[in-house]
Amino acid sequence: MGDVIMRVENLQKHFGPLHALRGISMEVRRGEVVVIIGPSGSGKSTFLRCLNRLEEPSAGRIVVDDLEITGPRVNLPGIRRDIGMVFQHFNLFPHMTVLGNVMEGPRTVFRLGRSQAEARATQLLYKVGLTDKLHLKPVQLSGGQQQRVAIARALAMDPKVMLFDEVTSALDPELVGEVLTVMKQLADEGMTMLVVTHEMGFGEKVADRVVMFDEGLVVEEGPPKRIFTRADHERTRRFPSQLHWEAALAGDEPKGAR
Amino acid sequence: MGGPPRYTWRFDVVLENLPHLLSGVSLTCALTALCMLLGLVVGLVAAICRLSRWRLVRGIAFAYTEAFRTTPLLVQVVWVFYVLPILTGVTLTAFFSGLVALGFNVGAFMAEIYRAGILSVNPGQTAAGLALGMTPGQVLRRIILPQAVTRVIPPMATTWVALFKDTAILSAIGVVELMFRAREIATDTYRPLEIFSVVALIYFLLTYPQSLGVNYLYRRFRTQE
Repeated sequence: MGDVIMRVENLQKHFGPLHALRGISMEVRRGEVVVIIGPSGSGKSTFLRCLNRLEEPSAGRIVVDDLEITGPRVNLPGIRRDIGMVFQHFNLFPHMTVLGNVMEGPRTVFRLGRSQAEARATQLLYKVGLTDKLHLKPVQLSGGQQQRVAIARALAMDPKVMLFDEVTSALDPELVGEVLTVMKQLADEGMTMLVVTHEMGFGEKVADRVVMFDEGLVVEEGPPKRIFTRADHERTRRFPSQLHWEAALAGDEPKGAR
Repeated sequence: MGGPPRYTWRFDVVLENLPHLLSGVSLTCALTALCMLLGLVVGLVAAICRLSRWRLVRGIAFAYTEAFRTTPLLVQVVWVFYVLPILTGVTLTAFFSGLVALGFNVGAFMAEIYRAGILSVNPGQTAAGLALGMTPGQVLRRIILPQAVTRVIPPMATTWVALFKDTAILSAIGVVELMFRAREIATDTYRPLEIFSVVALIYFLLTYPQSLGVNYLYRRFRTQE
């Protein structure tokens, strides 16, 4: 792991009366995989969306690769190019083919020629295992396949950092694995990643560091082993076990209940 | 026997004047096409302005669409023809006055259709485009408008049909379209009942196929997702 690529200082976000982020500070090193966990509404997604300014931070500073991206006179499209994002609901462009989706960023933003963009997109779609789907439309794919296209689309911009916002939460359970495998592969290649997820297994195996959010604050952070087995805070200790309990409950749900 | 006084219908008079009457049809069609074109452009600009981040731009676009949607078309047409030249010092022919008034009227309705179409596209699409590093303009052109198009085509076709009939109003300021010809001939021949009956029939025959076309478009572009 290298130097600090992203530094967040005292990040705050208000939505009207709601204080969603109450002062988050964080440093991410080049090549690091940071997994962010925490209950719904704890500000994880809002935090991620502030990092490429899809949400406007109310206060605080964000510095990416020595460039401050908060503040009024920032070239927003310019900074977003360097920060890839993958969304919970994929958000693929439905009017374009799989190939078109992955070519779109380089074509429109970098003005890359068609053949170059196509070569690059084909290569990335090979990487995520979708070589046989190039000319299909997103609706013709499964959720897991769509999400892998979305990852390829973000990678096409050759970002310095990748943000993953609950990317497996909308997937059927049997499709989660294929997406996580692609993400693990990326992590192994040295991509800097911030991953908001409820997949504790991914956190345990892939994260360099796990950060626990609650009510707009970082409760605790540390290596996954410590966070998942002997966290300092009672709130953190309770959280993963709560998830297991919820999963168990969902599995045991009596059939008549649906 | 009682009943209304007997009237002798003389459709032969209409027949004699039919070529003259039909000579207005081409202008009715041309006006519809030109007003539609103007409305499509003006409406798109107004719709984008209404979604602008600047309050003043939004305000101007809002004032424009509301002004045209809440006053009678006849008033707009007469106002553009008689009042606008006094205010601006520029006198337009009846044809261009009519084109401007009707075109901007259609534009106001088009703006609402575009706006609804743009807003109907999932906000996640905008987020995805911006996250790639596209400018808001690129997101609009590449991502939003292509998806909005299929949703706005049916209501736009409805507007087209309404526009086709509304061109008749321009006869009030002397634009020589179908309705103007009808009034001319009615005055000349003293046969308004026959003339206006036939002109209604002509409008029906011209509009009904278009209306069927609109129905087809609604079926064709029924929301696909």
